[in-house]
Amino acid sequence: MATATVPRRSALGEALAGVRHAADENPGSLLGWLATVDHKKIGVLYGVSAFLLFLVGGLEALLMRTQLMFPNSDVLTNDQFNRLFTMHGVTMVFMVVMPLSAAFFNLMVPLMIGARDVAFPRLNAFSYWTFLGGAILINISFFTGDIFDGELGAPDGGWFGYAPLSLPEYTPGNGMDFYAIGLQILGLSSLAGGLNFAVTILNMRAPGMSLFRLPVFIWMTLVTSFLIIFAMPVIAVALFELTFDRLFEANFFNVDAGGNPILWQHMFWLFGHPEVYILILPAFGIISEILPTFSRKPLFGYAFVVFSGIAIGFMSWGVWVHHMYTTGLGTIANSAFGISTILIGVPTGVKIFNWMATMAGGSIRFKSPMMFAVGAVAMFTIGGLSGITHSMVPSDYQQQDSYYIVAHFHYVLFGGAILALFGGIIYWGPKFTGRLFNEPLAHIHFWVMLIGFNLTFFPMHVSGLLGMPRRVYTYDEGMGWDVWNLLSSLGAFCIALSVIVFIVNFVYSIMMKRGAVAGPDPWDARTLEWSITSPPPHYNFATIPQVHSLDDWWHQKYREDADGNVIPAMAGAALATEVAHGGDGGEEHGDEHHGDIHMPSPSFMPLIAALGIPIMGIGFIYDYALVPVGATLLLVGIYGWALEPATEED
Amino acid sequence: MNRVVRRLASNRGRATASLMLIAMLALTMSGCDVIETDTPQNTFDTRGEVADKQAEIFYVAMWPALVVMFGVLGGILLIALRYRERDPNSPPPRQIHGNTRLEVAWTIAPAVLLLIIGVPMVALIGDIDADADDDAYTIDVIGQRYSWIFEYPEELDDEGNPLMTFDNVAHIPVDRQVNFRLRSVDVIHSFWVPKLGGKRDVFPCLVANEDADPMDVPDCEGGQLNELWLVADEPGTFAGQCAEYCGLEHANMALTVIADEDEDFEAWVEEAQGGGGGEPAEEDATPEVDETASPEAEETPESTEGEGG
Repeated sequence: MATATVPRRSALGEALAGVRHAADENPGSLLGWLATVDHKKIGVLYGVSAFLLFLVGGLEALLMRTQLMFPNSDVLTNDQFNRLFTMHGVTMVFMVVMPLSAAFFNLMVPLMIGARDVAFPRLNAFSYWTFLGGAILINISFFTGDIFDGELGAPDGGWFGYAPLSLPEYTPGNGMDFYAIGLQILGLSSLAGGLNFAVTILNMRAPGMSLFRLPVFIWMTLVTSFLIIFAMPVIAVALFELTFDRLFEANFFNVDAGGNPILWQHMFWLFGHPEVYILILPAFGIISEILPTFSRKPLFGYAFVVFSGIAIGFMSWGVWVHHMYTTGLGTIANSAFGISTILIGVPTGVKIFNWMATMAGGSIRFKSPMMFAVGAVAMFTIGGLSGITHSMVPSDYQQQDSYYIVAHFHYVLFGGAILALFGGIIYWGPKFTGRLFNEPLAHIHFWVMLIGFNLTFFPMHVSGLLGMPRRVYTYDEGMGWDVWNLLSSLGAFCIALSVIVFIVNFVYSIMMKRGAVAGPDPWDARTLEWSITSPPPHYNFATIPQVHSLDDWWHQKYREDADGNVIPAMAGAALATEVAHGGDGGEEHGDEHHGDIHMPSPSFMPLIAALGIPIMGIGFIYDYALVPVGATLLLVGIYGWALEPATEED
Repeated sequence: MNRVVRRLASNRGRATASLMLIAMLALTMSGCDVIETDTPQNTFDTRGEVADKQAEIFYVAMWPALVVMFGVLGGILLIALRYRERDPNSPPPRQIHGNTRLEVAWTIAPAVLLLIIGVPMVALIGDIDADADDDAYTIDVIGQRYSWIFEYPEELDDEGNPLMTFDNVAHIPVDRQVNFRLRSVDVIHSFWVPKLGGKRDVFPCLVANEDADPMDVPDCEGGQLNELWLVADEPGTFAGQCAEYCGLEHANMALTVIADEDEDFEAWVEEAQGGGGGEPAEEDATPEVDETASPEAEETPESTEGEGG
């Protein structure tokens, strides 16, 4: 549509088109990356950025664990510690697990549903650049203090930003301004991504890919996308109110002026609990792909796994008060939310049992992705069950804000999400790098991480039950917490070691290209992405595949009789037919058709628009003069975006 | 390099892994002897009705959770051993897509189990979250960064002002419900004395009815007033601390509750009123509190560049 309406161009337009053309010609150049709208490249950008931020967040954790290794130590000051735990939470939730999941959405969704790109490729690029801008904005706040005197400038009100502590009266300085505005920007990025993937999954599926032929990872992506679409506006409102309170002396949370601090908590956790599932559902999706592949057996009870995921999505909106049991909401609210909270264990349990049944009766290959997936199931189970113990309201009165809670959610989010995400990296990484990770190194990575993880977080159950509160920068000896904290700190360094092993593996296998060549289907897997080359051509599928069943690619390789017995003899013949049919992007086949495939052209507009947003943010914090500068960039970007043709004519 | 790494993974790696696991288990086991459980804030070393019941309800959830945990982890281990692939060239196993009966069973069973443990939970909420008895002893707790003020509206001096203490120590009578009326003069704190019972958040509350009878429930103009009743079953000294992150010195916002036999308690009240720590004579509660409650002086040196937006 846009192509028809832009007949003439100004000189500036010509110049822009020229740069754009250059980016199109050299997709591997810096210009090419800056202007890319290719979902695979955006996925890589997301993944690399999130991993670097994982290292930042991990370093923050190591500093804290060093401080808490012994009682009364003074490695960090109270101020430094408070800023570090705030940033650790903000970083890991918003800048590591969410974007790492987004990396998988980007990389996998089009490939798994048989599409050539996402529904809105430029919006996708905009999501990434906005995320990067927000992440940089929050992290530069470290350097706004007098850093050489050991004064960090980062937010110091906790990742949960409870008012009125988050108001300037109690947290002076700019830290919490960076928090409020930075999270707002990250939320915008997530929102754009959520809309993009919901539309992509609903509208871009290959012919025959009905909803109940979607891989479970795609289902979980869809549920997550809807959770993002509905949850982000809630935190956006809360953050706007906080921003107004901080910058313009509004009184949403200011008790002295009739504001209400508990309003913040309701909004934050009404967002915050769906957020927990935004973090974990993609991991559930990854586990649900890895287990069947390596058990060489379809997912047990596909419909139950899908519907339990949807049920979790709905129920996640009705449990937020379990973060607020101790705020004195009364017996009725606490009873109702206590019951809803223990019941959300049901759909989660269903998933765990189905995963076990998937493995049972299989012929399990314990390759490294499988180790991570099984480890994630086991660790998530522990975290889920400790969750049941403090869903019991009166019991939670003792555990709320103690280290027991820290143990619980790290079992869920590290043991569950991070292990599964590493499994996903090792499982799907070869699809994009063309190289397999070194298997022994990946196994070492897994075991060191699993042991380090348990060494870090299991003792926290004990220190919490012994009455150690969270977010304390120091503690006295004689409280009975010394041993458990020492163990936790040693475990943290063990985790750090495992991450180093992963980095070594990445450098050795991928960057130095010492890993085995992956080929299109290294794991004898089940879903469409394995039917094309590794790495995939930029147009993904030479011919859009026709989907006949769930696990379509597996059914192209094998046939089964009515009892489910596999008839391998037919595999070769069946495959050949499918390829001839164009169901699969065989290489020669693809090149033939390359010229006919029109992919969206690269565009700098998302980058320009996204660049304006953090500049506006900085302007609000430091000098309003910067606000119009940022706003202008944003508008220029949006207008350019609207007016440029999505596909440059040849 | 590859071979070295592989050997490490297969032999030494596994040996190290199992060694570390054993070491961890041994430490946990020996922990029962070496590591004290008689620690100041142990939530299971309970000394009061509320804490007792909270520990009991924890076990109501913990035992089924442990059974399920060992069931699932053991199940995964058994499945992993039983169904691991022995011959890399073996054909794929029989393709089982599901079993509706089984799936319905393991949907309903946990739901029933969870609802069953939900019953005592709701009952206990009704029990310990109910209002305190009429004859409960009332203490006003005022949280401020980073200390606690205790006000005894039942112990008035000659001028009708309640006894106040400023040393983060609360004295309470033993074997009697003590109703703590919680309010903060700045940010949200949380009042927690683990051995006596689980916590309640302390919200900002501007007292509107300062002139009223000290026994009247303070009327919050903004914010909210929370109440929490606890009972000490035996005389003793119980440690507690603020559990809601409240700023720079949150870690050091500790308190002590001392439960006294009745006569000791009365003696303490008399001593305190006779010019002990309190001196609440001339001033009203809130202005006094407000003065001490602006610890910005302690704060500002930490964050020097405060201007900006």
